[in-house]
Amino acid sequence: APTVSDFAQKPGRRVVVIGGGWGGATAAKYVRLADPSIEVVLLEPNKEFVSCPFSNLVLSGVRSIASISFGYGGLRAYGVRVLHQMATAIEPDAKRVKVGDGYIQYDRLIVSPGVEFQWEQVEGLAAAQDRVLHAWKAGPQTVALAKQLQSMADGGVFVLTIPPAAYRCPPGPYERACQVAWYLQTHKPKSKLIVLDANPNVISKTGLFRAAWTKYPNLEYRGSNKVVKVDPSVREVATELGDKVKYDVVNLIPPQRAGTIAVTADLVGADKRWCEVDHQTYESVKQKNIHVIGDSTTGLPVPKSGNIANAMGKICAVAVTRMLNDKPVPPMAPGNTCYSWVSDREAIAVVNSYKIDGGKVVQIEQKLTPGQSEAWAQNAVGWANSIWQDILG
Amino acid sequence: DAPGATSALACSACHGLGGQSPSNTMPILAGIAPWYFKKAIQDYAAGKRPSPEMEPYAKMVLQFGVDEIAAYFAGQARTPSPVKLDAAAVERGRAAAAQCTVCHGASGKGDASKGVPDLTGQPPGYLRNQMLLFKADRRSPGDDTIKAVKALMKTIPDEQFADLAAYWSSVR
Ligand SMILES: Cc1cc2nc3c(=O)[nH]c(=O)nc-3n(C[C@H](O)[C@H](O)[C@H](O)COP(=O)(O)OP(=O)(O)OC[C@H]3O[C@@H](n4cnc5c(N)ncnc54)[C@H](O)[C@@H]3O)c2cc1C
Ligand code: HEC
Ligand code: HEC
Repeated sequence: APTVSDFAQKPGRRVVVIGGGWGGATAAKYVRLADPSIEVVLLEPNKEFVSCPFSNLVLSGVRSIASISFGYGGLRAYGVRVLHQMATAIEPDAKRVKVGDGYIQYDRLIVSPGVEFQWEQVEGLAAAQDRVLHAWKAGPQTVALAKQLQSMADGGVFVLTIPPAAYRCPPGPYERACQVAWYLQTHKPKSKLIVLDANPNVISKTGLFRAAWTKYPNLEYRGSNKVVKVDPSVREVATELGDKVKYDVVNLIPPQRAGTIAVTADLVGADKRWCEVDHQTYESVKQKNIHVIGDSTTGLPVPKSGNIANAMGKICAVAVTRMLNDKPVPPMAPGNTCYSWVSDREAIAVVNSYKIDGGKVVQIEQKLTPGQSEAWAQNAVGWANSIWQDILG
Repeated sequence: DAPGATSALACSACHGLGGQSPSNTMPILAGIAPWYFKKAIQDYAAGKRPSPEMEPYAKMVLQFGVDEIAAYFAGQARTPSPVKLDAAAVERGRAAAAQCTVCHGASGKGDASKGVPDLTGQPPGYLRNQMLLFKADRRSPGDDTIKAVKALMKTIPDEQFADLAAYWSSVR
């Protein structure tokens, strides 16, 4: 395996990518596809890529964590040099990234660090991270939350809390509600799910989720219930309005901002949360030669989804190679499809397409499935198999 | 690097790199005939061939230029679907496939003059889905120009679609 010292010399043109998730892994592969003369170094601490999409099915036991975990061997086959380390700082003037005790030079940098949690927004949360789980980054927490759910006594109360928008994957919490409710209905029929949503109503695929929930009388949804405090010693959360809710198992999804490296490198805007970028090249409006993609961006008018991160990765890769070759960047727009599983076998979807208008990303159309069905679920499986390969293989 | 390739970047999320779909329900676009590609895109965009996935993307294709994108996919060599086929199903399908060759040709490669597409090497799940949609008149409902294929599908029991799909997927 390579180490930082292997990158001390930069013999030719080099693109460094921070983060081997949905955006970064895609970008790394597509830079190599677009111009194999460019060296690509991908920094990612995790040895395995675990997919957030489909991870809600691990909670309900419909899929295994192994079935959504992949290695980085496919990227290496494209000539991407994968280094399993964190980037700890970016020096834009020196055009280098700090990794451990060393530095890696770049000609252009692509940053796709996903989201970080704003622990401080919920009283008691920072100190309770080992017991109060988010499972909002797929991996060990997903497995741990599934275990908590399985070991809950029948008759127990599962509380799921949703942060205010903008957060990663707008429909994700509602899909999770479906999976937990389906699991409880099937395996623990005397139990109950309480959803405390900081938003006034379901923020994505509203009608479709509401229709799906009519089959789950064990699901109680409470809008405008922002959770501001958690106390694991008495198994209780408190809302902004002062309501207290007891739980046997809690899944607290904290408020979010851009990945930490994007904040410390001053890529975020005045809100200190998200990064503003050029809509065609994804170059940061604050730092030259640094591009930001995925959940860390302001989201143009697009959702924080894996499908969007993948699309941004491809577009950014083409833009970066064109810029390194002093060629014009053609107009390229992302697309988005978010499937959500509403039971063990049925799914719904929302699809958005976009164009470039006056240099900006503009939506062409949004379309929903007319209802839920097994056929959309089969298309969801098809989408997942295709896009995982598009990212990693 | 072709203009069609950069406009078509969004498609690979479902249809695979170069239109070479690795999955069972997403059709392969590599090697697709341009006339058929255009017809499919126009039918989706108009809502005539209903698909919540494809309607927005079809509008995107029209926005970026359907001819360039059609030419890009037509220029990609088609590798048959990697989805594993059941050998017994392929044989059963072969025995029933004579009723298809009148239109799709003995090779299954289709016939532009009759508006009939290539079936070969497509993922079996996709082929089966389309046959079910024809049978239920849910692909381009009410379109008289494709009445004959729908009438034929109505005579075929649902169980046989998987066999026919496996056979046409296996043809090279
Ligand atoms: C439960 C759930 C369900 C979802 N379902 C869907 C769905 O069905 N469809 C969909 O499209 N999207 C879905 N999403 C959203 C999707 O997972 C995200 O939008 C997507 O992962 C964003 O990609 P990204 O590249 O921005 O971040 P990530 O995929 O999170 O990748 C970021 C990577 O950067 C690495 N990293 C961070 N900091 C550093 C650093 N300093 N140095 C090196 N590496 C670093 C991290 O380890 C991580 O691997 C879901 C999300 C969740 C939580
Ligand atoms: C979210 C998934 C998804 C994306 C992204 C997507 N498609 Fe599709 N595509 C599908 C599905 C599903 C079908 C089958 C729909 C049906 O039942 O008719 C399909 C069918 C097609 C067909 C018809 C194939 C045939 O043999 O009849 C064409 C052509 C096509 N897509 C082109 C495109 C192009 C071009 C893009 C990108 C601009 C694209 N698609 C993006 C999911 C997708
Ligand atoms: C009478 C002519 C005719 C016969 C016979 C016929 N087809 Fe077709 N088939 C068509 C036409 C025309 C289309 C294209 C429809 C359209 O444009 O939407 C088509 C499309 C298809 C498709 C969709 C392909 C795609 O890429 O989306 C499948 C699958 C298919 N046929 C399978 C079969 C099978 C299997 C048989 C035999 C059992 C068969 N057809 C017999 C005329 C025929």
